[in-house]
Amino acid sequence: MEKKQREFKVLLVDDEDVFREATARQLAVRGFIVITAASGEEAVAQVKNDPPEVVVLDQQMPGMHGSETFIEIKKVDPLIEVIMLTGNTSVDNAIELMQMGTFDYLMKPINIDELLYKIEDAYTRKKLNEKQQREAGL
Amino acid sequence: MRVWDTSHLLDDIPANKSAAAEHVYDPADSQANLHRIRLHFKQLQTRLVLGLVLGFLLPNALLSAYFHFQFTHTLKESAKLNLAAVAESQKNTIDLYLQERVVNLYNLFHSKDFSLKPTQEQMENSLASLKHFNDGFVDVGFFDAKGIQIGYAGPFPSLLGKDYSKETWFQTLLKENRSYLISDIYMGFRHIPHFTIATKQVFDGRTYVMRATLDPDKFYIFLRAISQGKEVESTLVNHQGQYQVVDPGRSQLPGSSDYVPPMTEGSGVEEFARDDQKMLVAYSWLKETPWALLAMQPVTVAQAGMIKTRLVLTISLIVISLLISAMIFFTIKKLVKRARRMAEKGQQLQEMLAHASKLASIGELAAGVAHEINNPLAIIMATSGVIRDMLNPEFDLDHSPEAICKELSIIDTAATRAKGITRKLQDMGKSRVPKVVECDVNGLVEEVIGRLKKVEFKPKHLEVISNLGALPPILAEPEPLRQVFANILINAGDAIADKGTITITTEAKEGMVWVTIADTGKGIPPENLQRIFNPFFTTKGGGRGTGLGLSIAASIVKYLGGTIKVNSIPGTGSSFTVLLPINEQARKTIKQHDE
Repeated sequence: MEKKQREFKVLLVDDEDVFREATARQLAVRGFIVITAASGEEAVAQVKNDPPEVVVLDQQMPGMHGSETFIEIKKVDPLIEVIMLTGNTSVDNAIELMQMGTFDYLMKPINIDELLYKIEDAYTRKKLNEKQQREAGL
Repeated sequence: MRVWDTSHLLDDIPANKSAAAEHVYDPADSQANLHRIRLHFKQLQTRLVLGLVLGFLLPNALLSAYFHFQFTHTLKESAKLNLAAVAESQKNTIDLYLQERVVNLYNLFHSKDFSLKPTQEQMENSLASLKHFNDGFVDVGFFDAKGIQIGYAGPFPSLLGKDYSKETWFQTLLKENRSYLISDIYMGFRHIPHFTIATKQVFDGRTYVMRATLDPDKFYIFLRAISQGKEVESTLVNHQGQYQVVDPGRSQLPGSSDYVPPMTEGSGVEEFARDDQKMLVAYSWLKETPWALLAMQPVTVAQAGMIKTRLVLTISLIVISLLISAMIFFTIKKLVKRARRMAEKGQQLQEMLAHASKLASIGELAAGVAHEINNPLAIIMATSGVIRDMLNPEFDLDHSPEAICKELSIIDTAATRAKGITRKLQDMGKSRVPKVVECDVNGLVEEVIGRLKKVEFKPKHLEVISNLGALPPILAEPEPLRQVFANILINAGDAIADKGTITITTEAKEGMVWVTIADTGKGIPPENLQRIFNPFFTTKGGGRGTGLGLSIAASIVKYLGGTIKVNSIPGTGSSFTVLLPINEQARKTIKQHDE
């Protein structure tokens, strides 16, 4: 794995402290600027204060659920891409997530390289969408 | 305040103790259910058929009985009236016949051949005159006041000159005011049965009598000729019951009738037995002579029409009743069969639904298990990724043995967590072999509180108040029961952010032991209240809760024959009440057994 500076901000949201910290460390050494949140409420506050390019969001959280958090984030910035992490293996759940408008979803436990590629793809699409929006604005 | 009772909820929890086993589709259960349905519908059919048949037959039978008696009475009366009419009609005919004969005889006093000293020729002419009117006349005689027959014409010429002054009929005629007399049948001087018609007339202060006899055979034929009606036997009797009609050719006086009509009434109808046969007899007294006309008919013949009609009606009624009963029976049988089939189909659908629901529950359970297991696995993978990064020289990270050991211990913790979950699941799935002993619930509660105070309750400012009432021992397994109280108490502690009170109250009432654990925590939102007993439902984040605690508690309590009730007001606190049966009888039995 080549080390390169990606220099864009990723928000990692998960209530599991250990998982969040370990994943954040893995992303950080791969050149991402990683910020973390332990709950949905915290994540929405982060998006408002310090908007990331991509959000990696756990679906199953106490309090504000992953799906609700997704809706709130999109309300703040519709262009932010969200990758959902889920422990639920059902097809229904996967369809529901895609219909909601998440960029993609990953099953826990995750492979860090897979997450890396999805974050990069999500970032690429976000930039594309921003460009299209700018052009449309002109 | 929302209240939630686990007694009905538990049945829907797939992971509950042997609930899974109970809900699994079992062909033997299915057969038993079908058998129960069939039995139920068979009983229903019997009740319906009996009810409807009785409901129809009973009023019908009562109504039929009423009409039967009315009909019988009317027709019996009708048979009597009919026979009375026959008797009356015949009596009138005979009266008229006799009157005519009297008039025939009386007219001789005024005929051209009449003489107080009649010649034989004159008498023969008189007889010829009588025979001209009616050939039933046998002879004619003329008597002077002394009773001597001074003129005679007929087949018994020896009677001429005979003295009749001692004869009953002669004496009666002279004594009575009536100008004529018809005698009873008697033998007389000719020594053969006959009866006499006699008239009297006074000439120059002296009474003369003209007498004629009627041929009994001819009278018999006349009587038979006027008889009418099926098997109606007509006869004449005097007031003593002696017959006044002689069979043709008979040379003796007739006998007496078994039936003697009463003298009190002009006519009437009665029943009497003759030779073991019930007879209906109508009598009617003649005007011209003290004879009664008897018209007799066997009751079976007199009432034949009625009996036949009654028989037809009875048979019709029975046939109609049987037809309607059969119709009721078959209609009900058909309807009940249809209903039973629908019920059986419904039962089968219900079983299939329960089976499908079970499969769905298993799916839900699998999803829950996957989620709970995947979280520690995710930690393990993420941490092993971190170690790999540490060992990757490209990243230039601290890869000292201490640093790696620290990460490995994180992996150990996550693996232990996953193991804990699988063990709890195994515990839920195990079929518990009951090791019930007498448990002191208060002792168990205190034991659990003491243990929790040392660890779980220690970081918070919790006040634990125990109001433990006097309790009888209950039959239970101590360890699962400890687990129930521990799980609820841990939740109570978790519900309180930092400072609060947990109150434990125990009491015995209504045959149950009530253990209430109330906290002053955040309470449970109404939308969660129904889900708190579901496996893997948790509101505790950060891997602190598996969502199995209350599910296991509910499972244990249900297994012990009890229930858990929950009251909660969000923002104020929650109260969990565990109800456990005392089961005094079973306790005594086990105690005796142990002794």
